[in-house]
Amino acid sequence: MSKIISLGELKKEQEAEIISIDAGWRATKRLADLGLVPETKIKILRNAPILGPIEIQVRGSRVVIGRGLASKILIKLI
Amino acid sequence: MKKELNIVLAGQANVGKSVIFNDLTGLHQHIGNWPGKTVEKAEGTLYYKGYTINVLDLPGIYSLTTYSTEELISREFIAIQKPDFVINVVDGTNLERDLILTLQILELKRPTVLALNFVNLFEKKRIEINYKKLEEIFGIPIVPVSAIHGKGITETLDKGIKLIKNKTAFKQLEYGKEVEKRIKELTEFLKDVDLPYPKRWLSIKLLEKDKEIEKLIEKENPKILKKAKKLCSELEGIHGHDSSIVISSERCNLVSEIVKKVMKIKKSTKASFSERLDNLTCHKILGYIVMILILALMFFTIFSFGNWFSSILEKITLNWQGGWENIFGNSILSSLIWAAIKSVISLVEIALPYIIPFYLFLFLLEDWGYLARIAFLMDNLMHKMGIHGKACIPLMLGFGCNVPACLSCRIMETQREKFITGFLTTFIPCSAVTVIIIGLVGKFVGISWAFGLYLLVLLMIFGLGKLTSKILPGEATELIMEMPDYRKPNIKTIILQTWARVKEFIYIAGPLVIISGVIIEGISLAGWLPLIANLLSPITVKWLGLPAICGILLIFGILRKELILVMLATLLGTTNFSQVLTPIQMITLALVSMFYIPCIATIAALKKEFGWKRALSITLFKIFFAIVFGGIVLRILTLTKIL
Repeated sequence: MSKIISLGELKKEQEAEIISIDAGWRATKRLADLGLVPETKIKILRNAPILGPIEIQVRGSRVVIGRGLASKILIKLI
Repeated sequence: MKKELNIVLAGQANVGKSVIFNDLTGLHQHIGNWPGKTVEKAEGTLYYKGYTINVLDLPGIYSLTTYSTEELISREFIAIQKPDFVINVVDGTNLERDLILTLQILELKRPTVLALNFVNLFEKKRIEINYKKLEEIFGIPIVPVSAIHGKGITETLDKGIKLIKNKTAFKQLEYGKEVEKRIKELTEFLKDVDLPYPKRWLSIKLLEKDKEIEKLIEKENPKILKKAKKLCSELEGIHGHDSSIVISSERCNLVSEIVKKVMKIKKSTKASFSERLDNLTCHKILGYIVMILILALMFFTIFSFGNWFSSILEKITLNWQGGWENIFGNSILSSLIWAAIKSVISLVEIALPYIIPFYLFLFLLEDWGYLARIAFLMDNLMHKMGIHGKACIPLMLGFGCNVPACLSCRIMETQREKFITGFLTTFIPCSAVTVIIIGLVGKFVGISWAFGLYLLVLLMIFGLGKLTSKILPGEATELIMEMPDYRKPNIKTIILQTWARVKEFIYIAGPLVIISGVIIEGISLAGWLPLIANLLSPITVKWLGLPAICGILLIFGILRKELILVMLATLLGTTNFSQVLTPIQMITLALVSMFYIPCIATIAALKKEFGWKRALSITLFKIFFAIVFGGIVLRILTLTKIL
């Protein structure tokens, strides 16, 4: 069982599975609409510099998430 | 069968919906607002095989759970207005994401055709989709479409018309057992509820804890809501997540299963062109350099073209006033009418050389996919101002004209962000202000000073953003944005979008600009201008150190900022401003002109987006701010003796 960390701590090219999303109702819902729900596999494509947003690949599409929100998404490495 | 059909286009953002809409309706379209909302409503009509078809382009949506006004509008329209059929546009290269919305549209039980767009990219992306199987699973017609080539669009209409002729029965897609059981249980409970929505859809929304639907049901029968809550907590007990997440997960999983059955992608080892381009355009250093280059090129092109073109327009209209007076004399009435005509000419003089090229460029960048990259690169900086990366778009628009910039604040998610972004855009030096800065400071004080003023403004906007986000209640929302692939821009879409915006600009700005033009002409004819200049002189002369006539300039500037420069030349009888103003006065005047008020057209746009109260408070704040700031800068410049 690998350690649970937040999406914000992931490095480029790493793959992970979402454990839970601990954001507000709206943000959680919006993420779900883009296919980000627990048990979804994701891959980090790009970290913007100086704590900017994170670009991930999820279900075949690419999504950009602000750094603050990313730290509320818990994941485990796979 | 009736000969008039009402259909809607529904789909997520960036799926090529507007290309299809434009292809269907061409210039027979009307873009307005939903009653009482600031959400855009695009309608159009076409005649096809003996039918009159009214097409409504629903705003780009992610899902039909209340997240934003756009989504609420869309689902209410589909459920309550009951269009004859829905064309659900999906991006075939993003099937797994887009079908999530398709599931929800189907739950609203209107006849639906799935337009599978971007099939032209399948070969390159090595995607294979089994259309027949997909049709079987969903029980709806599926049409492969390549919107930018105009392929497959009429077939969608054919399939839709056939669908309503045959009254095809709906197929029910089912979720996992535990969830399905509770949906059925709740649907049974809802049997006697009289609401325009399908019962099964209501049950699902209740299990998703949709606030709007909960309110509706509470009014109908609070017992049902209680039952729903109980079922929700049952689901939460089983899955360990909030029931809204459980339902979303179910939907994602169902779509995932379907996609696995119908789609094959051969992984290519080579990075796609779009990916390679992103390695450059989203790079932590090079990305910013590329961005600055692209934007610099854009502004340089627009302003050189604008300068050239507006001087030509000026030459053309130069003798019109004389011609008018020769024919109609210079009675009061004739002067007032001329003031109105001049306002119209001046609108054209700003729209043609500056606003249209600006929009063409911007929509080109958007259609290509680059705006999303700017949002990505700028998110961090924007976040410090309590807004997020997407706010870059209105702010950039502001450099062309503040009116469309204010209107485009709609892309922000919450009222709070809309307001902060709208407020900040009114500080962006628009093309008219740029004319003043370059024509006054750049020409007579030095181009480095002009750039310095620009830098100062940007720093101030940053400071004001930080301040407002601290003062306004509420928390900043985070950026959640899809990163579209780069694609070949579609010229027709760009032109039609530009046209729609320019029309909007004219409708909003036109009436107020004309009316106030006439009023100011009236004041001038009555001989009150010197009076006003005197009245303002404690501020203009004492505090800001400007000649008294500047009071008059500032009055005209409310109409259009560049009039400040035009009137300066007229009133002083020279275009060599260095003879009449000291360099410090020029800088003070330029600064005050930049900030002292949003022009009348911008005030109209602010009113439209935020209501009178907020529009007036922004205006008053700016007047106050400009006076204080101008006075301080004057004193600093005088004391330091730099000039």
